Amino acid sequence: MTLKLLKEDGLKKLVEAMNAADTRVVGPKKNEAGMVIYDEVSQVSQLDLDEIIGRYSPKDAFFPQHETVMRYKLDGTNVHVEPEKPTIKETVLLGVRPCDAAAVISLNSVFTWDYIDNLFTERKKKVTIISVACNNADESCFCTSVGYAPDGTEGSDILLKKTKEGGYLAEVVTEEGEALVARYSDIFLEGNEATEIEPIAEVADLGVSIDKIKAWLDDPKNFEHKVWDDLAAKCVGCGGCTFVCPTCHCFDLVDEPYGDQGKRVKNWDGCQFDHFTLHASGHNPREHQSQRWRNRFSCKFKIYPDRFEKKGCVGCGRCIRVCPVNVDITEAMTEISEMSV
Amino acid sequence: MESLRSKAKELLQSGDVTTIIGYAAGTKKGKTKPYFAYTPEECEKLIFTPACVNNLVIYLTRKFDFMKKGKVAIVAKGCDIKTINVLIQENQFKREDILILGVTCDGVVDKEVVYDGNTLSDDEKSIKCITCDVNTPTDFDHLFGEGVESNALEPMTGGIYDEVDRVRGLSQSEKWNYWMEHFDRCIKCYACKKVCPLCYCDVCITEKNRPQWIETSAHSRGNYAWNIKRAMDLSGRCTFCGECDRSCPAEIPLNVINQEMSKLNYEAFEGYRAGYQTEEIPPFVSFKEDDKEDFIR
Repeated sequence: MTLKLLKEDGLKKLVEAMNAADTRVVGPKKNEAGMVIYDEVSQVSQLDLDEIIGRYSPKDAFFPQHETVMRYKLDGTNVHVEPEKPTIKETVLLGVRPCDAAAVISLNSVFTWDYIDNLFTERKKKVTIISVACNNADESCFCTSVGYAPDGTEGSDILLKKTKEGGYLAEVVTEEGEALVARYSDIFLEGNEATEIEPIAEVADLGVSIDKIKAWLDDPKNFEHKVWDDLAAKCVGCGGCTFVCPTCHCFDLVDEPYGDQGKRVKNWDGCQFDHFTLHASGHNPREHQSQRWRNRFSCKFKIYPDRFEKKGCVGCGRCIRVCPVNVDITEAMTEISEMSV
Repeated sequence: MESLRSKAKELLQSGDVTTIIGYAAGTKKGKTKPYFAYTPEECEKLIFTPACVNNLVIYLTRKFDFMKKGKVAIVAKGCDIKTINVLIQENQFKREDILILGVTCDGVVDKEVVYDGNTLSDDEKSIKCITCDVNTPTDFDHLFGEGVESNALEPMTGGIYDEVDRVRGLSQSEKWNYWMEHFDRCIKCYACKKVCPLCYCDVCITEKNRPQWIETSAHSRGNYAWNIKRAMDLSGRCTFCGECDRSCPAEIPLNVINQEMSKLNYEAFEGYRAGYQTEEIPPFVSFKEDDKEDFIR
């Protein structure tokens, strides 16, 4: 692995150089409401790298909450259909956390599974991920319990670690990372292992086994287990968890007509909504919230590994932080892991 | 809160109720969670602290019928009881269908505050608590906790109403920009309607798609349509429990728009305030032959 060094002013120079090269830089930034979200930055002072993690995941860079898929126009009895070809700028995701970078691998497995979603893959081609290792974690972080680490490199093209001198040590992980380092070779200086870095965050270990959780979920008799009600009867089904989650990927295709023309749009949807599985007949196979919650949990720990051979949860903890009624995925992981034999 | 726990146990033992809806310690420091006790043993976990922010009345609405195994007793603060009153007024259930375990309350923590066991300063309190005048509830079956005096000023002044008044003072275009900036952040997760005990429609207009009244897209028009529509629906009904504002992942100041509506109702309908009575007919469902407005007669 190539090691490079960003001096104290390295990040500033990098943002400036990328802006000058017309590369879109997206990083953690405080918005007008005081929340840190991933948004375009034009100067390094806008970056908020001290925040433990952004309120939302950066998945929006690949899978926007709302995008047009095609446009149509009625002409008598004919319909003219025009697939949307968005212009996608070269983008660098700068300052995301290792958990969020790892989540992109999981997302990619969904969008390239039986159908290749070009809107996703085209965006992904244009995005380089420079993540920053965590020096702080909070009570909701649990990446280490699902097999990741606060300084993990999975999914990142480059991983930065803060040095004692105020710069960053850069681990170049992929070819895309190498290309970026080469392009900005006057900023990425030679680095070495002797560079002292700031201590990496200690993330509390839940002491669970995701293999045991998977084994328990694999047993069909647990599908109707009482524990689902115990854990999630209080869930109000707001869906906040699915929207902030870096691996939740469900969307809905809707037509928005304007007279004799219109567009087909792809909007985020979520399995926590009561109408998500509502059939036209009126029957709903997931009638109660605990069934919908069971689905979300199973998607993370069974469906993802079964279908995509990837992990469905990266331990970012956003669903715990956002929940208005304290439904805590780690509580479920602990209980189920303990019940599993 | 030992008295609350023993009363809850007694109610379950005697069979007077089958479910206690209350609070228990949460999974994270200084946090609590909604908790359902079905057995006397489970009542051991019941607590009440200034960290008990949730309006549990959501669990009395029909969307949670499945978890009720019979008559329900609910732990409720004065502000929560106001929501119960509106639901009774709207014929969602009858007063005798439930038992209210009222708790006196000197304020609950604001969204970002982690409760550390100390008495809350005004800054640490949820903004709804600043104008609270039901610290000691008046409608309950059993009351727990020592009486708490209210510090509230005149109704519809101070606290959130300072911001309501400030926004009222803006010019039309400034007002438009203020709300568009906030609504633009909406991510259409609809957490606001899902935590609201007064959003109990079986089918929400957001789910109506022939035609699609509220566009599912999180673009300015769709966001505006949704947030304005919801404010209209709550007009004359909202009791300022603040759950939508607390739950909004996008920090949209929903308390401001909903309390603007409350204040308008207060001014237009002879001091009407939702949640303070169960007998009176709410302004938007009443008709009077001597209405002061011509267009409606």
